[in-house]
Amino acid sequence: MIIIQAGPEHFRFEISWEEKELLNVIRLYPHVPAAHHRLTKGRRIPDGAENQQLLEYALQSQREENRQLVAALLNEPARFAEIETGFRVDFTRGEIEWLLQVLNDVRVGSWIALGSPAGHPEMQPGLSNETLSHIMTMDVAGFFEMAFLHALTGEPLTGDA
Amino acid sequence: MPATATPEVLPRIDPDRRTDSSADLDSGYLVICWDDPVNLMAYVTHVFQTVFGWNRQRAERHMLEVHKNGKSLLAREHLEKAEFYVHQLQKYNLHATLERDAP
Repeated sequence: MIIIQAGPEHFRFEISWEEKELLNVIRLYPHVPAAHHRLTKGRRIPDGAENQQLLEYALQSQREENRQLVAALLNEPARFAEIETGFRVDFTRGEIEWLLQVLNDVRVGSWIALGSPAGHPEMQPGLSNETLSHIMTMDVAGFFEMAFLHALTGEPLTGDA
Repeated sequence: MPATATPEVLPRIDPDRRTDSSADLDSGYLVICWDDPVNLMAYVTHVFQTVFGWNRQRAERHMLEVHKNGKSLLAREHLEKAEFYVHQLQKYNLHATLERDAP
């Protein structure tokens, strides 16, 4: 996936056939369990239960919105213009922003499914087909995240936090 | 029908008294971001820039703090604003929480 044009608000990419297939990873969205999000670690927040519920409503509403955007993107074949080497596709800055949220949800969801390992999941003992599938999903989501972040910042990027 | 004259009452403005929102509100809530090793460093930096409007340098400083120390204090705010920030950060799936500042 390469960026071939970057304006302040519009970005044009070329992606290969294989990468377009891999982009289907966003179909897994939402992947992070809803119960994963906690407002606080302490218990000293006023109206803690009510505020926790507000957070859950806000995230639920955002998940629904993003889920519809994902479905719309994947059901819009005209968005991907076929070229000799694969496809050309345009995204706005706003679309990249929600795609980043979606991709990171998929990445974090797979990491949680792996048991939230502290180190590189590839190095964990007991790899199975299921865990390998989660690891591959994490890597694919991370690949697209880096490509989009590179487009936004204009700089080559590396590394996990 | 004759118009009724209504006396206009305006609030008295005292130029010596100003409302300082930051001083009047309880800013005793902390927004903390915790380390989830799955998150890409560039992604965390981007989210801090987007949510707080920080420049790259400041966002990277906090990202590195999360990475090295396991957490970073991102903001000290009144309850509503702190909650707003936590909601925004969690929309990006960063592990952010709201904590009461120690008295």
